Amino acid sequence: MFKKNFRQDNATAYTMLLPILVLLTVFVVIPFVYAIRVSFYNWSFYQDSTFVGFRNFYLVLTDRLFGKSVWIGIKFALMVVPTTLILAFLFANVVKNISPKLSGFVKTSIYIPTIISGIVASVIFVFIYDYTGGLANYVLGLFGQEPKAWLAEVGSALPSIAAPAVWLGFGLTALIMLAGLHDIPESYYEAADLEGAGAFQKMWYITIPLMRNVILYLLVTGFTAQISQYELSLVMTNGGPLNETTTPNLYIFLHFRNDVMVGNSIAASLLLFVVLGGISAIIFRVLNSEKAVDG
Amino acid sequence: MQAKSRKSLTALAAAPIILSLALTGCGGSNNGGNAGSSQSAGSSPSASASPSGSASASAGASASPSAASGAPVTIDVWANKFEDTTTTWFKKWTDEFNKSQSNIKVNLTIVPGDAWDQKMKAAQAAGKAPDVWTVSYNQVANDAKLGQIQALNDLMDPSVFDDLYPNMKDFVAVGDKFYAYPWLVEPSTVLYYRKDLFKAAGLDPEKPPTTWDELLADGKALTKKGVFGFSTAQVAGDLGWSSWGLQYNAAGHLPITDDWSKADVQNDGYKKLLTFYQQAYQSGIMPKQQLSGYTDAAPFGQGKIAMEANGSWAIGQLRNSFKDMVNNVGVAPMPTIDGNPNNTTATLGGWALAVDGKSEHAKEAAAYISYMLADDPNVVLDYFRGAQFSKFTPRKSVDQAMQSDPVASKDEVRAMIAEKIVPYSKPEPIYPWDISMAFSTAIESAMKGTDVDKALSKAEKDINDYIAKNKLAGTNPKMQ
Repeated sequence: MFKKNFRQDNATAYTMLLPILVLLTVFVVIPFVYAIRVSFYNWSFYQDSTFVGFRNFYLVLTDRLFGKSVWIGIKFALMVVPTTLILAFLFANVVKNISPKLSGFVKTSIYIPTIISGIVASVIFVFIYDYTGGLANYVLGLFGQEPKAWLAEVGSALPSIAAPAVWLGFGLTALIMLAGLHDIPESYYEAADLEGAGAFQKMWYITIPLMRNVILYLLVTGFTAQISQYELSLVMTNGGPLNETTTPNLYIFLHFRNDVMVGNSIAASLLLFVVLGGISAIIFRVLNSEKAVDG
Repeated sequence: MQAKSRKSLTALAAAPIILSLALTGCGGSNNGGNAGSSQSAGSSPSASASPSGSASASAGASASPSAASGAPVTIDVWANKFEDTTTTWFKKWTDEFNKSQSNIKVNLTIVPGDAWDQKMKAAQAAGKAPDVWTVSYNQVANDAKLGQIQALNDLMDPSVFDDLYPNMKDFVAVGDKFYAYPWLVEPSTVLYYRKDLFKAAGLDPEKPPTTWDELLADGKALTKKGVFGFSTAQVAGDLGWSSWGLQYNAAGHLPITDDWSKADVQNDGYKKLLTFYQQAYQSGIMPKQQLSGYTDAAPFGQGKIAMEANGSWAIGQLRNSFKDMVNNVGVAPMPTIDGNPNNTTATLGGWALAVDGKSEHAKEAAAYISYMLADDPNVVLDYFRGAQFSKFTPRKSVDQAMQSDPVASKDEVRAMIAEKIVPYSKPEPIYPWDISMAFSTAIESAMKGTDVDKALSKAEKDINDYIAKNKLAGTNPKMQ
């Protein structure tokens, strides 16, 4: 009797797992294994591929531009992720305390950039940064300043691209933060009030510790997403000036586009995979996720 | 219900990975087959005619059994998106071609320039590359070597190649085979200037600058609020190709030796070239951030720029889109380093049509190319008319037909470019784009303030690194 039940359960479980397993196999496992194989070849679409061992990896690793692009990706993420998190945290606190009717409206409006594609956002910001007719230089002109080459100066290009990234990521981050805030039991704050804790103390000792898992999630996904960002720099600067905005994915993309052999871009993709995995592991390690103790 | 939502979640989570890997993941079966030439240096060009084994049509009627049985053969054609008039021309004459016979049906796709490379790579990986595509002259030799395009000698009537100017034959030839049929040539660099602004600034509108120093001085005189005196390429991607003519002008050669064995940039000519770009940018006569890409004459047409280096195609754009401005526009050869008008100032770029190396209907594909470009001069003449005669034909017979065209024969700009620029122009280099980028990055960094010698040393090192890593020495297909 028991045995029969056991089998029935198994069949159901496997049936339910099957779609996911098939999808994962077709779209993740097979391409991944195949990509690893191809990365050892000089792969051309018209001629026979030749086995070249670790040569593609050697070429990528000794390319100064690849190292630079990873560093640029990290710099970019360091600009975008903390800014987004802090802004979203402040904003979520404001929204939490306003009337439900108004907050519904605010939440909707703040979410709008999230559904705008990165390409559209890039084009909007290209207009804003236009040298002669753009909004940014118009505002500078009001203060009597000379126009600035936002996207062409080595120093300002990356921050100029970080701005739309913050704008794009802000809505979703704020909503997730807000959900996290709502999850913290009100009783903790009431108790703190009785003890005479100030607003800053409540934030530091109650809100932030209880939001740890939310923040961890946002940090990991944020870093991964921002280091992989490429369409903003592709549209706005095409990686320039002097490769200062060539993020790792843009590096891979440009190689894929220009190179005759594709092995190089695949090797670079696999190396980027390692880099991203490493960064995520570091964040997990540092923040040391643990389940929140709530009552 | 729950299972279903889990499933779509998984699909969602997998999407980025699919995106990054799918393109590269599905072309596997294309590589099998024959023993092609090795990838290493010196694979002979003729090997490229048969790299794809069974897939490549063996150039003959046997390739098209279906044509005989009545059902038309369908071939796919991809054309780069250029000016609107070009698109119109392509559509019009492709329709005419389809109507003119019943054996071949052409599906034309106009592909935007930004999307071209990734669309083509994806199609090639999937084994679905179009039968005919537009190819830039600087790609012909390498594409031929890699077997991406096939020789046309046996596919087209050999006499059509006799109609080409001798130097144009060289653009599409590798060894004794022709791998594409040329469509047009256009000089990469021509000087456009505003005669009215010249007058306003106290300069003689009939005397455009002839040396780089004069250019910089005139640019200074023309710069005032809202108008920049001069504009040229200023990002590495545009500089990469638009500076070739100026490189020939300054140094007499390009930044790599003819046998591709080492960099060749440490000389006075190159120093002067970088200094010229540096001065133009730093003196404030150019916008600090480009108003538009090098190929786009719109900012000039809108009156934001008084002098501009641009390709010959810009006159077509100005005539089509900025009709009020055209009468004020002067056109002259790009100034030279020393004022010698017989120096090279431009490279001749341009486009050709080629048959894909794996096309199963090579004969039909070649018939389409013949119809569009090689047979009746009036078909392609219609294209040059649409482009306002801002481009030049590689064919003697088309030039003759143009001389009897009332508009073309009276066109002074056309005559000036044909007489003073084209004869001194050089073909575009065919070495890998990375070399051009390494050098143009040096130009850009000099413009942004890096010392000229330092910028050149870095370019030299980058080019030599690239040569060593990619074993480039001695692989020039034109030298074998």
